[in-house]
Amino acid sequence: MSETIAVIGGGPAGLEAARGVADLGGSVVLIEKESFLGGTPIRENYAALTPNMEPAEVAMGRLIDGVQQAGVEVLLEHQVSVCEGDAPEFRLTVTGPGGERTIECGGIIVATGFEHFDPGRETQMYGYYEHPDVLALQDLEAMLKEHNVVRPSTGLPPERICFVQCVGSRDRQIGNEYCSKVCCGVASKEAIEVRQQLPDCKVFIFYIDMRMYGYWENQIYWPAQEEHHVQYIKGIITEVLKKGDKLLVRGEDTTMGRPMEVTMDMVILSVGMEPSPGTRAMSSVLGIEPNKYGFIEAVNPPLDTVSTSRRGIWACGASLGPADLEDCASSGAAAAMKALTFVRRKSVAVG
Amino acid sequence: MPIPVEALLKKKEHFDRGPHDPRSEDFHHELFELEEQGEWIVSRVPEPFVPVETKYGVTKKIPKAHLWHHKSCGQCGHIPGYSTSIFWVMRKLGYDYNDPRDQTSCTAWNYYASATSNAAAQAAVAIRNFAAAYETGYFPLIHCGTSYGHYKEVREELLHHRELRAQVREIMDKLNKPMVMPEEIVHYSEWFYAMRHEIAALQVRDFSGIAATVHPACHYYKLVEGDAIYDPDVYGGQRTAVVTGVAEALGAEVRNYSTWFDCCGFGFRHILVQRDFTRSFATLRKIERMKEEADPDVVLTHDTGCVTTLDKSQFAAMAHGRNVGVPVMSEAQFAALAMGAHPYKVCQLHWHSADYRPLLEKMGIDWEAAWAEFQQDLKRLESGEKQYLTWDDVG
Amino acid sequence: MTAVENRSAFYKNPNVAGFDDVPYEEKERLIGLVKADMRFPDYLYGCYECGICVAACPSARFYDFSPRRIAQAAARDDVELMYQQMQEDVWECSQCFSCVRCPRGNNPGGIITVLREVAVNAGLASAREALEGYSRIIYKIMSTGTQVSPDMLQPDAFPDWGPEVKDVSDNLDMWRRALPPETLHTTSTGWDVDERTLLELYLIWFHTGALDMIQEVDEGLHMILQEVMEERLEDAGIEV
Repeated sequence: MSETIAVIGGGPAGLEAARGVADLGGSVVLIEKESFLGGTPIRENYAALTPNMEPAEVAMGRLIDGVQQAGVEVLLEHQVSVCEGDAPEFRLTVTGPGGERTIECGGIIVATGFEHFDPGRETQMYGYYEHPDVLALQDLEAMLKEHNVVRPSTGLPPERICFVQCVGSRDRQIGNEYCSKVCCGVASKEAIEVRQQLPDCKVFIFYIDMRMYGYWENQIYWPAQEEHHVQYIKGIITEVLKKGDKLLVRGEDTTMGRPMEVTMDMVILSVGMEPSPGTRAMSSVLGIEPNKYGFIEAVNPPLDTVSTSRRGIWACGASLGPADLEDCASSGAAAAMKALTFVRRKSVAVG
Repeated sequence: MPIPVEALLKKKEHFDRGPHDPRSEDFHHELFELEEQGEWIVSRVPEPFVPVETKYGVTKKIPKAHLWHHKSCGQCGHIPGYSTSIFWVMRKLGYDYNDPRDQTSCTAWNYYASATSNAAAQAAVAIRNFAAAYETGYFPLIHCGTSYGHYKEVREELLHHRELRAQVREIMDKLNKPMVMPEEIVHYSEWFYAMRHEIAALQVRDFSGIAATVHPACHYYKLVEGDAIYDPDVYGGQRTAVVTGVAEALGAEVRNYSTWFDCCGFGFRHILVQRDFTRSFATLRKIERMKEEADPDVVLTHDTGCVTTLDKSQFAAMAHGRNVGVPVMSEAQFAALAMGAHPYKVCQLHWHSADYRPLLEKMGIDWEAAWAEFQQDLKRLESGEKQYLTWDDVG
Repeated sequence: MTAVENRSAFYKNPNVAGFDDVPYEEKERLIGLVKADMRFPDYLYGCYECGICVAACPSARFYDFSPRRIAQAAARDDVELMYQQMQEDVWECSQCFSCVRCPRGNNPGGIITVLREVAVNAGLASAREALEGYSRIIYKIMSTGTQVSPDMLQPDAFPDWGPEVKDVSDNLDMWRRALPPETLHTTSTGWDVDERTLLELYLIWFHTGALDMIQEVDEGLHMILQEVMEERLEDAGIEV
């Protein structure tokens, strides 16, 4: 019987979990479907991370170094296709460039993360697929990373740019009846970066509620308003249309209690989180219950954030639902602790 | 362009809804389940039909023939060229239909204007009309956008409220009529969209020099919005494809304007008793914006109220020196003109307010000669030679 | 604690929503009818005041009207405010349903439909006033089965629609006979409606209580309608 822990997914949560198991002297194999580690922050070219403004590549680089130095076996470009057996004797079939192989493991940690909501499915009329100058949060991240924020339609820097919050989240019609947690902070952080890179550009954020909990309030929200003069308007946008060579955005300025229509050069949609294809796949391959949104269900909330419906399998990071990096680090570590305890004691971790 | 921009633009070229959108749930399941439970008869879409895609990927069947024309009060009353064009095009394409006398108004205008009605009355009227169609063996085709939107609303209410179904059944029993719900609620503009290539094949007038703006009816695409036609080839699937699909198939240039999603301002009650609202809204938010930003030759829409509002609101506005003056018609009349229909005998443009003559000239139609022909026909009616004009008289 | 003291939790001035001549119990009764309507639970969930409904609403651009305030008042069960809206705001809605874009799934236009029906049923003066000039449509639809007819296009009724209204009314009979569809050779109805069909429509309104609502809106009209239709029913051998 193997005491190896298989960690599926090499993003921030998976990296933390894998290194955690190795640091505690456990045996761990990290299975990642891309050709690189670092997950969504690397794949989507995130610029600075919220709230400390450290470049994503640098922060993820530290996690990746940690994993490599701890001697974790890393399988890049591999995916799990079959799971046989029961805890503590799982047999995973993984497929990669070299073909198939079987991994015997005593415990499994799912860290397959999220994907950004596709704005084409949005209830409101944002025209993401019609207007070149309507982008999503991660699209702007890629531009910020290159220090080259321009209007895709003209190649010139914008003079007026706005963010629209809650795109794909908090919506009964779409079915995503949850808040994606990080978008207010990320949008505000991007707003700050835009103001830094383009001091003449006016930046607006249209919101339903501004949610930056805990210390983010003063790390991000207050500086955005007070130092960087980002303008926050309570009232979400419903339509984006073309007007001349600009975009017309329509909402209600609820402070004034009247409909409002203004032009912008660029519109950034603060898209929420949905389960990634990997998360959906793992839920069926591993036979673990998803919740109604398709994320992995954490079965013992609130004090046990990582146990799934199946003994010997845990989940961490955004595979469980909207998560920030702090959540990823914490739940990655929690999963590592419980998984290792389980394979050593041959019993379910209490939580 | 710098590389991130190229990559971003590439990513935004094509939208794929993907398999996990919960809104792709199909109401037909419930519809047929209730039939199995004996709650109602589902009148089936006859063959041949054209399958089209609606907003969330559910397939909708649009029957080509055997249609029961559920007429519109406002069209038949004030814009008869609209209804006439629908019949005329269907006849030219060679599809049989039933034009019933056993049809009541949907009464939705009354419901939305005055609320002197209730959910049971509205549902009973709908079911009665569906039953009347069923009894003829023809399938209902709804002419008015409001009737269509309202019947979709009624379908939702009936699907989800057993006590409402029971109430309506009691009334149908008193009237000796069966409880019938059609498999699809089909708007005539959906038929025109499904038939657009057959229509274009019979086109005889060149529309390549005609610029149009499209006004989509609120009740078509905002009420029960999943059951409206969307097409990845029209607006990238981001806006409803009806009307625009037809105009483009006929070679017209469809131009955009920044108030596309705005209501026309009809208001139901407002157009009668608070016309300053309707007129201001239609002029300021729709017609003026269209003229300023798109300068179209014609405004096309697919609902009775919208044609009425946009057409009739311009006269008074002109007296105030506003930037108005563009003809308004349904895409049915537009398609009929493309197929060679007589502008007066078929499209009945003399009932319209905003000046359509420059448009007819651009289409290569000698409207003076056409008007003279029409006057000749009227003389034959006056002299008693004929009681009515028939389909044979209008070509 | 009296009803007034109970309410003052919300207002500095308990009369800010107006209509203080109407007892609170009456307001509560009417709002209770709204909440008891079969459609109401489908129309109201919660409201997080995002303003999408107002942004999409045509009436909000023209009147001091806000579908958001309608949904908010209903969501927080504010009887006073809902009563004021029933009296003052609901007739400004254009029933376009742009507001069903609501991310919470609310339907402010639908809430308004129910508010209006309760207002009409209760015979509120504001409802009667709003529907003045509208009763001819009700008469038209009840006696002909169509809501609009060609003979309604008269220049004194629609002077602002343009000179062709006069052309239509001058040539009405001829122009209607010049229509190829056989059912459109009518002037007093939109299309030619079977007598039997007409009676079925009347019976539907009779049995569902819609006819009683007409009585609240225009008593005289209701009387005429009843007389006319009962005669036709008798002729057809139908008993009610």
